[in-house]
Amino acid sequence: MSAPDYVGKRVLRKDGPVKVTGRAKYTVDMQPGGLLTGRILRSPHPHARILNIDTTRASKLAGVKAVITARDTPGIKHGFVETPRYPADQWPLAADRVRYVGEEIAAVAAVDSHVAAEALALIRVEYEPLPAVFDPEAAMAPDAPDIHPRNSRITDPFNNIAGKTESGWGDVAEGFARSDYVREDRFRSHLRTHGYLEPQATVADCGAGGKLNIWTSSQGPFIKRAKLARTLGLSQAAVRIQHAYVGGAFGGKIDLFAHEFCAALLSLKSGRPVKIEASRDEIFSAYRHGQPLIVDLKTGVKKDGSLLAQQIRIINNCGAYRGSGVVVIFLSWGFAMLPYRLPNLAYEGFAVYTNNPVRAPQRGHGAPQVRFAVESQLDMIAAELGLDPIGIRLKNARRPGETLPNGDNVHNCGLIPCIQKAVEHTGFHQKYGRGRPTAGAKDPLRRGIGIGVSAYFSGSLIYPNSSSVVVKMNDDGSATLLTGALDIGQGAETILCQIVAEELKIPLEEIEVLAADTETTPVDIGSWISGNAYVTGNAAREAASVVRRKLLELAAEELEANPDDLVASDKSVYVTGSSDRRLSYAELIAAGIRRRRGDPLIGEGHWRTLRDVPYHPSLATTKGRWSENYAFDAQVAEVEVDTDTGVVRLVRAVTAHDCGFPINPLLVEGQIDGQVSMALGHAFMEEVRMQSGRTLNPSFLEYRMPTIYQMAASEHIDVITESYQKDRPFRTKEVGEGYVSAILAAIANAIYDAVGVRLFETPFTPEKILKGLGKI
Amino acid sequence: MDEYIGKKLIQLKINGERFSAAAEPHETLLEVLRNRLGLTGAKAGCDVGECGACTVLMDGKPVLACLLLAVDCQQAEITTIEGLSQGRELASVQEAFLAEGAVQCGFCTPGMVLATSALLTQSIRPSEEDIKRALAGHLCRCTGYNKIFAAVQRAAGTDRGKA
Repeated sequence: MSAPDYVGKRVLRKDGPVKVTGRAKYTVDMQPGGLLTGRILRSPHPHARILNIDTTRASKLAGVKAVITARDTPGIKHGFVETPRYPADQWPLAADRVRYVGEEIAAVAAVDSHVAAEALALIRVEYEPLPAVFDPEAAMAPDAPDIHPRNSRITDPFNNIAGKTESGWGDVAEGFARSDYVREDRFRSHLRTHGYLEPQATVADCGAGGKLNIWTSSQGPFIKRAKLARTLGLSQAAVRIQHAYVGGAFGGKIDLFAHEFCAALLSLKSGRPVKIEASRDEIFSAYRHGQPLIVDLKTGVKKDGSLLAQQIRIINNCGAYRGSGVVVIFLSWGFAMLPYRLPNLAYEGFAVYTNNPVRAPQRGHGAPQVRFAVESQLDMIAAELGLDPIGIRLKNARRPGETLPNGDNVHNCGLIPCIQKAVEHTGFHQKYGRGRPTAGAKDPLRRGIGIGVSAYFSGSLIYPNSSSVVVKMNDDGSATLLTGALDIGQGAETILCQIVAEELKIPLEEIEVLAADTETTPVDIGSWISGNAYVTGNAAREAASVVRRKLLELAAEELEANPDDLVASDKSVYVTGSSDRRLSYAELIAAGIRRRRGDPLIGEGHWRTLRDVPYHPSLATTKGRWSENYAFDAQVAEVEVDTDTGVVRLVRAVTAHDCGFPINPLLVEGQIDGQVSMALGHAFMEEVRMQSGRTLNPSFLEYRMPTIYQMAASEHIDVITESYQKDRPFRTKEVGEGYVSAILAAIANAIYDAVGVRLFETPFTPEKILKGLGKI
Repeated sequence: MDEYIGKKLIQLKINGERFSAAAEPHETLLEVLRNRLGLTGAKAGCDVGECGACTVLMDGKPVLACLLLAVDCQQAEITTIEGLSQGRELASVQEAFLAEGAVQCGFCTPGMVLATSALLTQSIRPSEEDIKRALAGHLCRCTGYNKIFAAVQRAAGTDRGKA
């Protein structure tokens, strides 16, 4: 087979020109005529009973067009997870109780934001404050205040358990008994947030008798439509979510948010378009952040470093409602067991209700926290046993074709070459162990090097579970690609076009994309489950190959040739060996309409992961298949630690990744750089600081994300484990979430290598370094 | 109450053309551009001058449109992202951002591109430090800045060994 023309190339973004010229329309840019401004009244209490809400004065204020409270809603709860074990637990607007500071109580729509703000101030709410609890372990105690009614089946013997995952295999007791060395450590991670630049925003426009049209800053329109329609008591047919570009999401814009519900309901009530745009202060104080986990990790190994048994207990401070808090305790199991062979495992994860804001997935969804723990401890074990940190990883690393204990297969797993190439590229062994402070050295700077490895799934079965793509040909032989996929910056539109271009041999410029509209594009799995390249990509490949087959059939008839002798190239089809017997796509399309009585050339493709598996694995037991493809990576960090100030600088970050094959290496690099930067923020800079449920640093000035001055020296190594073959399903893997994790662990290990300070908690602040050095 | 009491006529030269709009005294330049003139390329990422997404050029210099009152911008010459390219031709800075893969979600892009244009007008061969200083007030959450930095170097012609 000939080398690909479009796939595997550093093709420029499809959406690049509209973005560099400011013409790309985001939700915040939508301004239908007669637009009202919506605003939301939030709870000032972390936990309180609502005794009464009086909106009389607000409703009478001139310029106010609608006021809503829970009384105006159909009273349908929602949740990130909605299953019999974990039923929806959150009202779109608080009904009789508030459980965190910032919880939504009422909303108004008015002629401008000033009138809306005045109206909010006129709403009178009577509260009866209740005892609140913020720490997850305190919340588990028997005397802790109940945040939700108890469900003894899940919660006993603890209090406030939102969810529990239990899993394992083998016999850990026996594994520990056979181990030559066992150690037990506790690792903690802190509260961080997504930091998307486009604020959360929704525009809802419901004309009289018409559909409810929605633009919302999201990670895919189909899950939004399903949840919005249901909580509004409408059919899905009554709601249309239209395309808008998205100014970053990183897991923070997936399921239903109160502002979306409120904008829709205010538009339904007022008959006018309504826009709600969250302020940055609201986003930091009341919106969903990531998940701070406590990881208790006990590991037993043989003298040679082979892992024998691991016992893991995760406690997730999951906030006032379940959010994705019951998902992260499932995923943490997966991220713990993926990279290394583990004969005996006992795993339990608890999601604990506290009076903190709700949590969302945040890029990596548990993986950074878990890999930080496992990889840090593995380095400690290696040091204790006098083993090389690379050797212990290679010894335990999964190999191609291995079946995981849950029945999944790692297929063409490239973990070992990732480790080897990262080590070779950085000269790891020449540097490792040379950075420790030596007595009498005057230079306060120490360099260290460290490694971490990680793995990530590529698509799983969560609503809407599958992707479909339609490719239609136009008269001139150009094509239009219809996909429900939403480009949130990762490059979905671009890679899907590359795949269609490859299958049809049409230049990218001649493929138009219509994306992410619940009415005009087919269903899509969404840009939040790391399944775009694999699931939607294969749907696009299939749709395009259906069109190609139709073109070849027509050409066979027109050219009176055997279809097997035909080749598609350069928007035309010719007979092998006689390239003058050639018809352009335009001629074939015309022939199709003539011969087939008007049949146009349209192809559809459908794909889902784990086609023979009915459901997502159990969140409670992890039983069932999880994913078909796993991406693997090894990351090496080199750091410089100032032993006088405790300040650590990430000098170099090398990512060796197995993503199958990179459909677009330029975009892959962009994903890696962005994730390394996010991990750098995680390691050194970012923390949402809270006290009694209130956010103390609700701004970009105080929540410090990397600026260009903290640009990491990010380097990439491709470990290509698959080649693209036309007309054949591919297993390409995700690149959007897997690279935030190993690098965090690598940084921690590099700090230890530099100065001998072992860190058990993120972030790695100067105070912790200086404490570790015994200087404070 | 009369809608128009207190409004001021703001006259601006935007992207080479004269515009006027009646604006409240408290309205920012960003609000006038976005809400009254429909120029939505400049974004409100934080509304308090911390993210740089609202950057436009005023008399050739980058300013934070969310911090400027429109009434203080009388007769100013403003360049927004919509005015940077000529017709269908992209400006060289825009080309460089595309070529280097410096755009992901695109929300910071208009501000980044304008700040880069201003830098390159001032300084023909900006140093690495010049580039960092020029973009220090612009947050980007997608790229880690690596490819943005490379794009600025490409636009300046200071990238090493690249076409």
